Amino acid sequence: MDTIYVDNNATTAIAPEVLAAMLPYFTDQYFNPSSMYDAARSPAEAIEQARQTIAHCLGGVDPDQFLFTGSATESNNAALFGTVQANPQRRQVITTAVEHPSVLEIGKELARRGLDVTFLPVDPNGELELETFIKALSSETLMISIMLANNETGICYPVAEMARIAKETDPRIIVHTDATQAIGKLEVNLATHLCHVDLFSFSGHKIHAPKGVGALFVRRGTRWRPFILGGHQERGRRAGTENVPYIVGLAKACELAVAGVGDEQIRVRRMRDRLQVTLEESIPAIEVNGKGARERLPNTLNLAFHGVEGEAILYELSRHGICASSGSACTSGSLAPSHVLQAMKVPFTAIHGSLRISLSRYTTETEIDRIIQVLPEIIANLRRLSPYWDDRNNCLALPDDPAG
Amino acid sequence: MPWEYSDKVLQLFQDAVRGKAGTHMGIIENPDGFGEHGSIVCGDALRFSFRVKRHPTDPTRDVITEARYQTFGCTSAIAASEALCALLEEGQKTPIAALHVTNQDLIEYLGGLPDQKIHCSVMGAEALQTAVIDWAQKRGVDVADFLPQLIKEEQEEGRIVCRCFAASEPYLRRKIRELGLRTIPEITNALKAGGGCTTCHHQPGGLQDLLDEIWGTHAPVDSTPTVAIDKAEADRLSPYQLGKRVEQVIATHIRSLLRAEGGDIELVDIQEDRVYCRLTGTCSACPGADQTLKMLVERHLKELVDERLRVIAV
Repeated sequence: MDTIYVDNNATTAIAPEVLAAMLPYFTDQYFNPSSMYDAARSPAEAIEQARQTIAHCLGGVDPDQFLFTGSATESNNAALFGTVQANPQRRQVITTAVEHPSVLEIGKELARRGLDVTFLPVDPNGELELETFIKALSSETLMISIMLANNETGICYPVAEMARIAKETDPRIIVHTDATQAIGKLEVNLATHLCHVDLFSFSGHKIHAPKGVGALFVRRGTRWRPFILGGHQERGRRAGTENVPYIVGLAKACELAVAGVGDEQIRVRRMRDRLQVTLEESIPAIEVNGKGARERLPNTLNLAFHGVEGEAILYELSRHGICASSGSACTSGSLAPSHVLQAMKVPFTAIHGSLRISLSRYTTETEIDRIIQVLPEIIANLRRLSPYWDDRNNCLALPDDPAG
Repeated sequence: MPWEYSDKVLQLFQDAVRGKAGTHMGIIENPDGFGEHGSIVCGDALRFSFRVKRHPTDPTRDVITEARYQTFGCTSAIAASEALCALLEEGQKTPIAALHVTNQDLIEYLGGLPDQKIHCSVMGAEALQTAVIDWAQKRGVDVADFLPQLIKEEQEEGRIVCRCFAASEPYLRRKIRELGLRTIPEITNALKAGGGCTTCHHQPGGLQDLLDEIWGTHAPVDSTPTVAIDKAEADRLSPYQLGKRVEQVIATHIRSLLRAEGGDIELVDIQEDRVYCRLTGTCSACPGADQTLKMLVERHLKELVDERLRVIAV
């Protein structure tokens, strides 16, 4: 049975071009780029070349503003802790209730350390309200950290707009965005629409590079302090011997991703939309989370089925070779369902039955056909077992007191 | 983490989903015993019913002949429900004897369960107990003889300790003793309690206090208390008069100007000296239109309200 991989917001397959670009740096070009001999020139140059490629892809900004890290999570840690450390005079951080844990948990940690952290709520469409954001801004605001696109729902946030409002309110406010899910799916330009963003995180493994490499953009002049100390690498901004092959892979992947934002993502969006519309027609009591949002990533489809539980859906899909994910409690490692879906107030009868399908440029129409073919039956079978489903009328059946 | 289910769990689940002959999904019309545990809010729920072969003279010698379930939940919740029904039917048990079926029996039948899924088996055992009580009432059997403590609990609701999973103090006390739960993670694995917001872990009268009281020891602290983030800030709204005045100037001077150009203005907020407003206009051919509109508004506000005001377009 062939694997149908539609969990690309979790990680992606390594592109053959990326692997090919990396290979020489595992074998012949293994030298430490910090070494003095001639042989080390090639890996050292490869890193600088990678930096230039990435800077070019993201708006033609000055390459020196990028530093390489081990992951987007590390980039987010460096962005937030590095900014807080460098600016002790201000105490307020504004972020959102729907960030990836690598920002959300730092927010909670900063609150434990006594900072004033605001978690902006979202409306049932999953959108942030500018009014609430503006109300949160104050003379104490140190930084804002708002993701470009949500990993679970694919909802895109008006980061460019919010960054501009923050800067016009007070140019000293530092703006961070986690762009991990956005690269290769949205237009991302640090010179034009994102020109007010100071710190920008992303990683390789969401764009067909390997796991274990990321980058952080720190705009020149930003009051920020390095987070990992212990070496002069990356101009003292991120210590540790550079992971040369992975950095080369990240740059190659970035190039391919940005080139695909046009036609390739149109094709992906068309497949996603077809999947969405067909499933909405063939499965009763289905929610498309984020459907009402102004903009969603073209590859992401977050569904919720009333009256069934997500883990059981995933297990059944996996039996058909289909790899997807769920925000249900049983899959999250905690016993609570996804914080993103909770923040959006997804109905309690559906929140445990969520399913995220995330496509990539390697997804085919045949694979979409297969999902369309098997998913309705899986849901129907599980609903047959469910005490909350009325088989005769094919609808949700709730007890009188759902909370009891 | 990928699934760590036993073959038995997977087989029972698959048979159930496919509605294979011999599986126990369903409801019994007018059952002799009916019980529920869990809720859709908590993420899993079991509705359980059974039928007995009635003994002509002594109800305590009734024998369970048929058991059925409906389950909302994960793979192992569905498998545990199958296991419960199969165990009862295969065992030809009396309802009283069924009370001795524990979650441990279900786990054994299932060939083991991952730690964080123990609660699926507890759900089965709880629903069974409730169903037996239901049977006892219908048949006029005094179940208090068999389960005095349980009955007492049924009568008093008790304080809710874990709000996320609606776990009451009497219920937690009984299960902590019954299952020998020593730490908060063990409670969460078995009962789900404490697995949501985690507020109940270390608050007074919370899970740790219950454990300390029951076992008389201080079990290791397993998690850092979360800090409630208080977003209630001091009211930072601008003075009423300023807002009033800005609105007035917009109404009397600015809106008409903008409307003449096919545009409009909506006041979003005022913070200190910053006026946030939404500007629309039809001068879209002109690339500087946004800036022009903004300056027009700002000039009027500076002139007619306060020199220090700034306009920020939203």
